Amino acid sequence: MNKRLRNALKGIVAPDTERRRRAMEPFVRATFEMFSRYLYRYLGNEVECEDVLEDVYADIWENPERLRNVSNEKELVRTVYLYYMRKRLREVYRRMNRHLYLSQNDLTNLTAPELGVLESLSQEELEDALHQALKRLKSRERRAIELWMAGMSSRAIANELKTTVGATKMLKFRTILKLKKIMSDYCQDN
Amino acid sequence: MADTNRTIQELLSDYAGSLRDGCVPVFLKSLTREEAQMIGDSKDFWDATEVVRVLNSVGFARKAVTPDVGLFMSRVDANITSRLKKAKAGTRRRRTNGARASHKSQRAEEMI
Repeated sequence: MNKRLRNALKGIVAPDTERRRRAMEPFVRATFEMFSRYLYRYLGNEVECEDVLEDVYADIWENPERLRNVSNEKELVRTVYLYYMRKRLREVYRRMNRHLYLSQNDLTNLTAPELGVLESLSQEELEDALHQALKRLKSRERRAIELWMAGMSSRAIANELKTTVGATKMLKFRTILKLKKIMSDYCQDN
Repeated sequence: MADTNRTIQELLSDYAGSLRDGCVPVFLKSLTREEAQMIGDSKDFWDATEVVRVLNSVGFARKAVTPDVGLFMSRVDANITSRLKKAKAGTRRRRTNGARASHKSQRAEEMI
């Protein structure tokens, strides 16, 4: 953890509310990008990330107890997700629930899940694990995932791979399951 | 996403697309009762969603535009101010109610 973040964390867990408020600015500056990127994986859009983070920071100011024993960045992101972000993420979708067929439990699992093996990794570790996993895929599978990550639709990927949309979706689904297995094994080995 | 009776791989593909495009609520609203049931029962779907989020994080989070932190900070500060005001208003109301209650009881005693 860098010195700037460590100092900001010290201020943020102070018992005095005014001191915590003053410490909020350096804390936001030190963590905003990190939290925003993390939250992006669940929301996929910057505007909602900002809205959720606004409440998350205010929650941290109001009740910073959970951050008292945090010693590194990975632990910080994990703690903030589990105790602050998750609650807010659930609230984003709670109001929608009465119009949905998904059960409350499935909705929570989809929008604000428990942390899985992969989601506990830091951004750098994830990138490394994914990079290693992609190398172990067949070329067609890798191409499908790379094209999808380049922002292409299933139809565009199907055109590129000279196959049908249905076959592309099936290929993507199987490849993702394969990726999950390879990445989980990679996590256990390391 | 107007297609009904989607298979599980189509549902995953649509979920991944909605997450990538930042419109998960549209995907959630598009689910029929049968599809929601299918999702609930499919272990493969839940396994795959974790990887989809990872791909979203690795592939797109870096490209996301980070706004002006100074401007964002003022929003956080306004939020904190509003919470402080609410807390103060709460305690003031409690105190006032208490004062009124004691005043009332005093008057009642005087009348007796």
